[in-house]
Formats: sequence, structure tokens, C-alpha cells
Amino acid sequence: MSKYGTLYIEGNSFFHRLAPSIKFIIFILWSITVFMSLDLRLSLALLAIGIIFLFFAEIPFRIIKNLFAVVIIFNIINAVFILLISPEFGAELTGQKTRLCSVLGFPVLMETLFYVITISLKYLSLLPMALILIFSTHPTRFASSLNKIGIPYKIAYTFNIIFRYIPEIQNEFKIISQAQAARGLSYGKDEKSLIKRMKNIFSITIPLLNTSLERIDKITNAMELREFGKYKKRSWYNESKISRKDLLVLIAAMFLFTAAVYHRLTLDSWFWYPFK
Amino acid sequence: MPIIEFKNFSFRFANLREPTLNNLNFQIKEGEKVLIAGASGSGKSTLMHCINGIVPFAHSGELKGELVVSGIKPYNQNIFEISKKAGTILQDQDSQFIGLTVGEDVAFIQENNNINPEIMKKKVYESLQSVQMQKFIDQSPYELSGGQKQSVSLAGILSSGTDILLFDEPLANLDPASGKKVIELIDELHKKYRKTIIIIEHRIEDVLERNIDRLIVIDKGRIKANEKPDTVLKQDILRKYGLREPLYIEALKHFSIDLKIINNIHDINSCKNPEVKKTLSTKKIIYKKNNNYKKRQLLLSVQNINFSYDRKGRQILKNVSFELDKGEIISILGNNGAGKSTLSNIITGILKPDSGTINLSGKDITAAGIKEIGQKIGYVMQNPNHMIVKNMIKDEVCLGLNAYRYDKNFIEERYLKTVKTCGLYGYRNWPVSSLSYGQKKRVTIASILALDPKVVVLDEPTAGQDYRTYTEIMDFISRLTEKGIGIILITHDMHLALEYTTRSIVLSNGKIIGNDKPSKILSNEKIVAKANLKETSLSRLSGILELEDKEEFIQNFIETEKGVRAVE
Repeated sequence: MSKYGTLYIEGNSFFHRLAPSIKFIIFILWSITVFMSLDLRLSLALLAIGIIFLFFAEIPFRIIKNLFAVVIIFNIINAVFILLISPEFGAELTGQKTRLCSVLGFPVLMETLFYVITISLKYLSLLPMALILIFSTHPTRFASSLNKIGIPYKIAYTFNIIFRYIPEIQNEFKIISQAQAARGLSYGKDEKSLIKRMKNIFSITIPLLNTSLERIDKITNAMELREFGKYKKRSWYNESKISRKDLLVLIAAMFLFTAAVYHRLTLDSWFWYPFK
Repeated sequence: MPIIEFKNFSFRFANLREPTLNNLNFQIKEGEKVLIAGASGSGKSTLMHCINGIVPFAHSGELKGELVVSGIKPYNQNIFEISKKAGTILQDQDSQFIGLTVGEDVAFIQENNNINPEIMKKKVYESLQSVQMQKFIDQSPYELSGGQKQSVSLAGILSSGTDILLFDEPLANLDPASGKKVIELIDELHKKYRKTIIIIEHRIEDVLERNIDRLIVIDKGRIKANEKPDTVLKQDILRKYGLREPLYIEALKHFSIDLKIINNIHDINSCKNPEVKKTLSTKKIIYKKNNNYKKRQLLLSVQNINFSYDRKGRQILKNVSFELDKGEIISILGNNGAGKSTLSNIITGILKPDSGTINLSGKDITAAGIKEIGQKIGYVMQNPNHMIVKNMIKDEVCLGLNAYRYDKNFIEERYLKTVKTCGLYGYRNWPVSSLSYGQKKRVTIASILALDPKVVVLDEPTAGQDYRTYTEIMDFISRLTEKGIGIILITHDMHLALEYTTRSIVLSNGKIIGNDKPSKILSNEKIVAKANLKETSLSRLSGILELEDKEEFIQNFIETEKGVRAVE
């Protein structure tokens, strides 16, 4: 947890200085580019660029490594399920059928395997940019910035609150689970049965939910008592102005995005498959 | 001219049958400073919510009669109109801290009023100056103490310029020294800006540290007293309605001193009276020495514990050693951040020390797993809502037993025994949600006792509780020692340590700076100052009267007090 008890990590990198709204727009453009096609080359390029960006954003590796691990594990599970449930999917996409081998009686097609790798990398290529947005953006400046580009402030403020309270809920989870572990409901290595462990984690969610609901009620009251929502507009103590530099970055991003869209339109298939 | 006026005012929550506030009639004048006191469930918070508009806008119900706040009827307006007249400082400093930094939090009201950022920044700085917090403008709430957070909230409300300030239990969750500072700050602002101030609290002694114009006592939704604090204090009103009198007044009453001879009794210094001194120093009370601890039997031994969260980081515990006997209750005192919770986490096996040993009944358990330790050393968290997982009392109490896979008949037997010990037998078929706070606390203690632990660690068992619940919880905990259970209380409540524990261990900056009888510890000025504790009024009284044996006087009073209550 950072100094502010938020996900935001202080720093002075290029990405920290970039106006949050511009960062958000770039993230959206990045996502559209990723979802527009199913091209291994593009995913690899974006992933590489993303990792370089992540390096420049000075976000400590120890913080992002777990998130990377989670996404990679999710991707592997997803890939296995695709291979099991729709082993023919690659064939449908490419119109070809090359049987590689069979695992436990399930046939594995090269086309499907290639598809699975492509889609995994596609998801993964979203991650660096998302991490940069979450960890290098000051929550209130993000909210004020979103408000500035026309998003209603109540919605913008919700982002702020969410970013702020995630670490607190994490902390609460820790405290509650420790107390439960002390009376025999461990979710760690102490409990040998995996099913029991899952069950015990689930039982923690009840007090966690209770205290979270209590907290939401308190925060809502605290905000209303201090006149949140009084007018259609509100001003911001932590404003971030959009500088000329920010605009230049935005123009560059738009240019690259247009190029990507143009390139996509010239292709006849959204799935890139080199072994034809 | 009254700024707040209740006329035949009643309020009933939509989901309740009985009204929470019942035919209230009283006024508060402009510039007055009023303390509204009442036990839990007396309706004091609801009363405040009626003034600031939480009732009926966030919690709906049926209103009768009339309430006027600064010329408007709150329930006929919207919550924003009321916010202009009355600003509220909530008791939970963490969830009322909305901004990410001190400056941002103070600015919150102005942001919502769409004030120009340049003007806003100037105003924020000025309001922070008025509470001497301007240095902290860019700090995050996590770097502030409870008292400092309270000051920041105050600055935020001040910047909005409302005439009425409402404080909802401002002392809850504060350590004694910070609480004292907050009360002083409120008083200074009252003198400087002449605002109307209403404080809702049940910690009357702490609020009365500074002058209060009027004390209103509320019970079951009705006004029971509405007078100058002195008048109320000289009668037996507070005790009657489940509230605690200032300790020194309890002592004076105890020695049958005629309170009429003392003017300004709310000020402890006014007790400097030759007659009082004569009575207190000549009238010896003979009490039976507590004989429980003659045969000392070592239960838990903690030796040379060191701990830090990471190798490079600050050392949280430094060479901590202490012992606990069978059937003993000890308290661990210290300010926030002194290392109290880390120490309790180490005792309960949640954290492992870097070095040092923990022996339980002669067996080294330092390396044992949390599950193994959990059966022998129980841990009860401060907030019962953090612990309770099941909806039915029986399921909750048996949860640990089931987890350790005991035999069914055994579980049933143990369960019945436990609910009987805990006075929950009559409620055993109730859902947990219908219990009071004190009862929920009992359920959590029961769920730990069911495992038959040798030691129970309780984190702030009475925090935020009124005197009635406090006594109920603590008497129950004390009785557990009869079975030989050793009890460790983590607390910053001096009264609690004094009244219920045989020994106090004082932590400061991760080191033990005192380990002795509470009466001795709390009359040691050095330790009290170093650990951010507060001298109890009992010890102050003996200082003011220049009694010869301070410690004996305190011990005397506490011992006989216990006797009195047991007979009652």
C-alpha cells in the first residue's frame, strides 16, 4: 500500500505527469486497437511497447508481478478450456485443419493452438497500459480530469472512491482472515484440504461484506453532510490542467490509432494466420 | 433567541414500533456549548441526526411535533440547506476522511459549492491554520493520529462557516491524550468564534475537562436532565441512566462527602478544600486484600521478542518480555503505534517473531502453527462484526469446534456449557443479528471459549461502549479467570486497566516501559507522559489534595468500588 493508502504510487515519470484524462483516452484507444483484430504480430508489438512503457513509468516490479501472474494463470485456464470445449474453433476461423497430436484422446489442431496463443497474448497486451493507468494516476486528479472531459462528476468521483478503498478492503480482509485463522478457519497452508480452504475464504466474505456495507453507509452520510451533489457542477482542489505537451501526446496517439484502424480496414480477415 | 428548538418532538424509525425520540421539549441558545449524554440506544445519535438532516433524508420514519434549526425546519428542507446551518463532525474519523490529503479533505465542502480553486486554496490554508494543522496540508490521513484527523474534519467544517457545530462522539477511538487535545481545541474554537456547539458523548469526564454550559441527559428517547453540569453531577442522575460519573466525583460520593460544599464541581481543581482533604485522609476504608494471586502459577511466558515487518524496516517490538499467571488479567497499554496490536498478533501466532520465545504452560510454542496456537490462545477482535460469520448463535459458537473436527456429542456438550457460562443460554436460538452490541461481544467470546483456551487476548473489549455495557462485558470477562484462564486486554482505557486488571504493561515505541500494578503505573508521571496516557482524575484528585499515599488511595478506592458493585 502506498503512502496515501491507495493504489496510486507517487512518482515523477512521463506517465505520472501526463494528464489523467489523456492517459484514460490513450488506454481506451489502446483497448480498441487490441480488440479490433486478432493479430499475433500486433499483440506482440503492443505487449513489448507496453512493457517498455511500464518500465518508464517506474512502477516497482514487486507490485505488478502478482497481477501479471494472475492474468497469465487466467489466460492459461482460458486456453485450456478453449482447447477442450471447442477444439475445432481454429479450423472454423481459417478453413484449414492440421492435426498436431492428441492429448488424453482430445485432438489438438494447430489452428486452434495458434488461435489460443494469439488470444492469450491479446489479453496480456492490455495489461501494461491498465497497470500504468491504475498505478501512476492520482485518484482525485483522475476524477477531476474525467470530469473536465465531460464525464458527470458523480461518476468520476466514483472512480476516485473505488481506487481509494480497494486497499482498505484488502487490509480488512487480512485482519478478518487472521482472526478466523486463529480459531481454526485457516485459508493458508495450515489447512490441508483445498475444499476446506475455499470454504473458509468464503466464510470471511460475510463479515467483510458486512463491514463494507457499514462503511459505504458512513461514507455516503459523510459526503452528503458535506454537500456532495449540491450543484450540477463542482470545482476541484486537485485540478490537473491539460498542457500543450499533453495535447501533443494525444495527437500522436490519435495519429497512431488512425493508422491502426486504416491498416485493419485493408486486411480481409481479422485473424492473422501465417501458415496458409 | 434559541438557535435550536424542539417542541413536542417525536420520531419513530420506519422499521421500529416504538418511537426512538419521545416528546422532546428543549432549546439551545446561540453560542451555547451543550453536552448531550446518554447510554447506547438512548436516542442521542438519532437526536443529532434530526438536527443535521440524516433523519429523515437518509433514515426515514415518522416525525411529530416541531424542530427549528436556525430559522428553518430541517425536515421540510433538503440536506444541503441544513448543511449551511449546521456542520457535523462524525465519530468515525476514517470514513469521514474523504479527501486523499489533508488539504483536499478540508476543501471538500467548497468543491461541492463550486468555489473557484484559487480562493478555495487560500481558504483551506486559513482554516488549517485555525486548528494548527497547516503543516500537514499535503499529508495523507494514514500519517495522522486520530486526534489530528479530528482536527482536520473540524477545519473542513469551519471553512464552510456554519453557525452550529455538531460533534458525534468525538472521543470514540481516540487515545486519552489525543481526546484531551480535541476537547481543548473545541473549547478554543468556541471561545474564538462563538459558534453554537453540541457534543454527543458518553465519556462525560473527558468532555468536562473544559467548560460546558449545559448537560442534557437522555434516556429511552426522553430528556432526563437539562441543567448546568454542576447541578447534574451533584445528583445521582448519570449513574441511574447507565452513564459513568467522573471518577473523582465517584470517589467523593463514595467517601460520603457533602458535594454542596464544593462550588464548580465540574472542575477537579475546585475540590481543593480542607474539609475534603480531612475526610479523605482520615477515613480509611478497610478492604479485604485480593487473595486470588497468592499461589502464583506461571501460564504464559514471553521472552525477548523482537519483530520488524521487513529486515530494513523499523523495529516494531524491541526485546519485549513479560509473564502471565493462571487466572490473572493484565492490560497492555500504550498509544496508537506503540506496537500493541503487533504484540497481540505475535502472542496469538498470527505473526512470527524475528527472535525470542513464547512458552505456554512450560511448552515452547514459538514455532507452532496458527491453528495449533489458536486452540490454546484465543483472540477476540475489537469489533464483533469482524468476527461473526454465521447467522445463528449455535453455528457461530460451534464454528471453531467443527473446524477442529471434534466428536458431535462432544461439540453439543461443550456448546451448552459455553452458552451457559456466557449467559447466552436464553438466547441460544436467536439469530445473531437481533442481538445488542454487548450480546454480540459475548457471542464472539463464547466462540473462542468453546475451544477451551488457556489464554484469551481481547482487543479493546469495551471501546465505544456506555457504562452499562462496559460493566456487563468486563464483569463477565473477570469471571472467566475463576476457571484459571489468563486474560490479556489490549486497551487505551485507563479506567478499565485500573478497575479490572491486576497488572499493566506499558508499551512505548515497541519497548516495555512499565510493568506493575495499574495504580502504580498510572500515578507515575513519567510513564504516563511517555506513553501518551492520561493521568486519571483519581490520581489528579490525590495530587490536588496533596494526599500522602497517592497509590494507596487509588487502590483503596478501586477495591472498595468493586465490592460495592458486587453487592448491588
